[in-house]
Amino acid sequence: MKVFIDPPNSLVLFDLVERFGHEPLSTMAAIQERVDNLEVDMPPMNVTLDDVVRGLKYAGVEVPSGVRGRLSLWGPLIEQADAAIIMDDCPYSFGCVGCERSELMVKYLIKRRGIPTLHVRYPSTDEEAVSFVAMAKEFLEGLN
Amino acid sequence: MTIKIAQLSCGTEYSSVQYEIEKAARSVGAKIVYPDVSASDIDNAVKRFGFNPRSSQLKLMIARAVQLADGKYDADAVFITTCFRCAEAALVRNELRRFIQENTRLPVVTYSFTERLKASQLLTRMEALVTIVTRKELLARERQTGITVGIDSGSSTTKAVVMENNKIIGKDWTPSGDVIASATLVLNNALEMAGIEMKQVEAIGTTGYGRFTLGDHFGAKLVQEELTVNSKGAVWLADRQRGEATIIDIGGMDNKAITVRDGVPDNFTMGGICAGASGRFLEMTSKRLKIDVTELGALADKGNWRNAKMNSYCSVFGIQDLVTTLGDGKSFEDVAAAACHSVAEQVYEQQLQEIDVRHPIIQVGGTSLISGLVTAVGEVLGERPIVPPDSQYIGAVGGALLSSGFL
Amino acid sequence: MTEERETRLFMISPRSMLTPDQLVRLIHAYGAEAIVKETCYGCLVEGPRSLVLDILARVREKHPNEVFSKIRAYPCSDPRRCRAQHGTRPGFAQLEEEWELLSKIQYGLDRVSEGAGYKQYEDRKRISVNDFKRICEVQ
Repeated sequence: MKVFIDPPNSLVLFDLVERFGHEPLSTMAAIQERVDNLEVDMPPMNVTLDDVVRGLKYAGVEVPSGVRGRLSLWGPLIEQADAAIIMDDCPYSFGCVGCERSELMVKYLIKRRGIPTLHVRYPSTDEEAVSFVAMAKEFLEGLN
Repeated sequence: MTIKIAQLSCGTEYSSVQYEIEKAARSVGAKIVYPDVSASDIDNAVKRFGFNPRSSQLKLMIARAVQLADGKYDADAVFITTCFRCAEAALVRNELRRFIQENTRLPVVTYSFTERLKASQLLTRMEALVTIVTRKELLARERQTGITVGIDSGSSTTKAVVMENNKIIGKDWTPSGDVIASATLVLNNALEMAGIEMKQVEAIGTTGYGRFTLGDHFGAKLVQEELTVNSKGAVWLADRQRGEATIIDIGGMDNKAITVRDGVPDNFTMGGICAGASGRFLEMTSKRLKIDVTELGALADKGNWRNAKMNSYCSVFGIQDLVTTLGDGKSFEDVAAAACHSVAEQVYEQQLQEIDVRHPIIQVGGTSLISGLVTAVGEVLGERPIVPPDSQYIGAVGGALLSSGFL
Repeated sequence: MTEERETRLFMISPRSMLTPDQLVRLIHAYGAEAIVKETCYGCLVEGPRSLVLDILARVREKHPNEVFSKIRAYPCSDPRRCRAQHGTRPGFAQLEEEWELLSKIQYGLDRVSEGAGYKQYEDRKRISVNDFKRICEVQ
């Protein structure tokens, strides 16, 4: 199954989803498609102008371009996701390296999709990490 | 030498503008770099800075700024840029600009972008940054020496000034036509007024959009973008060479607002989106009132804009409102005041929001001669702008002043 | 496109005794035609998707809970990402944090594979206003 991860570029979540038998939906894959798309004449840095305009689907023109650009990457991923894992309470430099408003919107879009969603807390001790991994394992294995 | 411009930003990589930023830097011989920070630096930097934004990219911006302030990362200039309309980023952007200026001698420009990034504005900013780095000593010049000429080839008017020993001794302007012919005309008239012959002129500086053509034609010693040149001209004319100031130039077609520190620009905004926010609106109003635009200012000073409510800023519908108001028996004075107020309010809403207005405010350019507009700008900003003598000649004065640095 | 090129970060948990050099030699020993680039955290592996996934599976078999992996959008040495070109891009600090976290995740995976379960999160509730008032009155 396709599992959206939030933060969408997290190494840990990407790895765990794959490790427990599913396909992670991540920022990296979305950007890779654009990087490898030879029809784009200008080498893009993450997103193209068309992407930012497409972001209008998720947020109006009064919303900053950086939010719309981010949503244009993540919105379509959330739309195709069968499930999602959200890591809460991440330390600040952890995350989609960016924008709090975009992150709030991502969580809302996941909620609105109504797909099975697991909230896990960023572990700060070894014991919390055991719970973190065990929860992720149970959730991911239960998706089959 | 490649100038290293440190970029502190949020949103550029998700607004499809990063490539344009790097391209603009390259085209003026500069390179964009990012001060390296590690995760542990971020926490300390945010604590030290004292502003703790929610967005992680803004925290990263702060950490990068602290690296620069502490001299741990070597760069020649700083470019701070964030998404337009993001309140959190706008606060951080402006405070970081202040922080960098207080803690380093690096030139800074700030910019708020949308995905429709204006390449020419970006280029002018990058060019200005490079000028500030490579011509630091020249820009520090506060007195004009010898006999020099400045020519400002603008999109609507061409101006020339002859200066001798820090005084303007000749000046002229004309509506812009053929770039060389217009410049030759005003130059000859200014020389005649000064009683100087061309062969006595020791240096020429050109600015404005025709600067390259004129630079070649007249063998100018200085050919420079209008951002740094106009700033120098404005602070010289207003005798405000030290400290901070905001220069407002409401042009016939486009507007500029430049913030300066010790006569060197650190941010600017350039408009041109809407005729309703330019001198053109006042010209059109004058025509409808069947008066000359030069009379509009004095008329407006006698009126009260509150008596002639306008429902639109638009140069078509707004002016229609004014005419309707006249039909209701309101005075010409009130209508003239309302037109000036409308332009001032629009400039404030559309442009001054992008910069951090610093005091004093110096109003320049042709429209600064319309006193009603200066009054209106003062009302909107809560402080009457200084209008220096010869305020329409800033570019030419800046050119003459700076070119004397080559003597 | 994804089928043609896959670039992956292989990141070694700080708890592991494995070094990037050992990891790279291990991958080279598979004799696969992939680009392998040693880094401070482990290595980058680039090649056709199926090949890269095969390498990952073999590494996991040997070092099950010590090496972590995610894909990278940009190819190896892409100047848009390369740190040497212009300094670090924004994701760098995050990777540093995640690298530190891997030590705990490795521990978690080890315990879970031994059968450990999880504890439900406790709700972090604030005390009621009345309780707080009582405390204040006692003081």
